[in-house]
Amino acid sequence: MHFLRCVLAEWGLIRPQVFRTRLGLWLLALGAALLWLGRSADPLTVALQAGAFGAVLAASTAGTATPSLFHPTTPLAVAVAQWLGAVVPATILTVLATLALGVSGQRFGAVVLAGVGAAVAVAGCALAIALLLGRTALVALFLCMAVAGAAPPEHFVAMAEPGGWRVIAASALELGPALWRYRDIAMGDAGALAHAAAWAALGIVVASGVLRRADARAGE
Amino acid sequence: MHALASNQALTLVDVWVSSPRRLEGVSLALVPGEVAGVVGPSGAGKSSLLEVAAGILIPSRGSAVVCGVPAGSRPARHLVGYAGRRAAFPAALTVRETLTSLARLHGGPRQTAMVERALELTGAGTLADVRAGRLAVADRRRIALTQAVLGGRRVVVLDELLSGLDPVARRDLRHPLGRIAAEGVAVLIAATDPSALEGLVARVFVLREGRIVRAGVLSGLLRDRILEVILDRPPAEPPPGFRITASGVETPLTGRTPEAALALCRAHRLAVRATRVRLKSLEEVVLDAHDGAR
Repeated sequence: MHFLRCVLAEWGLIRPQVFRTRLGLWLLALGAALLWLGRSADPLTVALQAGAFGAVLAASTAGTATPSLFHPTTPLAVAVAQWLGAVVPATILTVLATLALGVSGQRFGAVVLAGVGAAVAVAGCALAIALLLGRTALVALFLCMAVAGAAPPEHFVAMAEPGGWRVIAASALELGPALWRYRDIAMGDAGALAHAAAWAALGIVVASGVLRRADARAGE
Repeated sequence: MHALASNQALTLVDVWVSSPRRLEGVSLALVPGEVAGVVGPSGAGKSSLLEVAAGILIPSRGSAVVCGVPAGSRPARHLVGYAGRRAAFPAALTVRETLTSLARLHGGPRQTAMVERALELTGAGTLADVRAGRLAVADRRRIALTQAVLGGRRVVVLDELLSGLDPVARRDLRHPLGRIAAEGVAVLIAATDPSALEGLVARVFVLREGRIVRAGVLSGLLRDRILEVILDRPPAEPPPGFRITASGVETPLTGRTPEAALALCRAHRLAVRATRVRLKSLEEVVLDAHDGAR
């Protein structure tokens, strides 16, 4: 109960920022750009991009210092609320983009689910990066999702030098959040769903660790 | 110090911290309603001391206790409020919205009343509907204080709350601090500039390199008198026990009368234009403690 109250209180600090800052405008611009660029593309690709890119943008606002850490809350509750602050706007963008593309029926549910899966995973990753490295580092994640995350790793690994670098590149592309993987959520792939859930959990745990360190630094 | 702990609002006993700034065996205790200051140069460990008191920094040795419960525990978070040097509030939210969200963390049915009480205590009612992003520095400090007292906290820990403010803003923030203390809340406030605390704190802890090198009631620390001698021209060398100032020389009147000190000036053929006796300032107490500990 206390945990939920803490999440709700933190959410109260994050939610208005979506509508009162430039984030709302940026999300609208992103949605418009994705719809324009993807007018002849598969709606699933647009939904995945809306979920992932929307989550990166929203995490840049949600993943920040908060005054609530000096009150009776927990870093985990703050991290969960900040993660929600990235997922919810990205989900709204995904739903709106899918509706705008005229997808309906059972296909609508599958496409939105894949987009939300991408949002859930990328929000976790983006939140951890924002708190660990700063919001500027999210630009790198955005580009990474747009380029390396768009296609399966075999397309890119061949470009890497043979040897250790190839292994590292293949591992990063295989393990990292990627649009090509979450595409399978629309087909009901439980492995892709689990991958997204694992990234969400990892992101929240890392973010809460960073917040805990800021909240109660060990004096050694 | 252990024996005193039960009746204290805040007790630090033999606190040791090695990073980010050292604290070496710091002990202090505050009673309810007391306003105490922590002064010292940059890097002396003031912020670390305050963070230990607020439960943000965990000491490697020693203990910090707030109203009988360990600092940093969940019950202690209801009891101790903290306002750091760089208080950050969501820019897009009004002050009232921010405080209302924070009040939810304290639970209880009367969260609106909790917010109104905190705004009233700190005189921040007029800022309630202003977005945090539009607040001036002094107003942001007032809101930092407001969130620190939110929820009926019994101890408030304030890091550099008055530093870098103009005299009017300082005075305007001192008033609510007095009101808060009158409610029985213990206030521990740190300042790099000791003059910020004069007329506010009842007790002072002078910190140097992680140790309390001087502590006492402010009136006791400031009772020493200084003889200022204004000269026509600066002396090549001051008389024994004097130090050269911008306008002449000065000496503490410890163990001698002003007449005896003046006679010493005349014996050194100094052209005295005027003299005055004043009380030692808190800044001088800090400097004495700093130089004396070398």
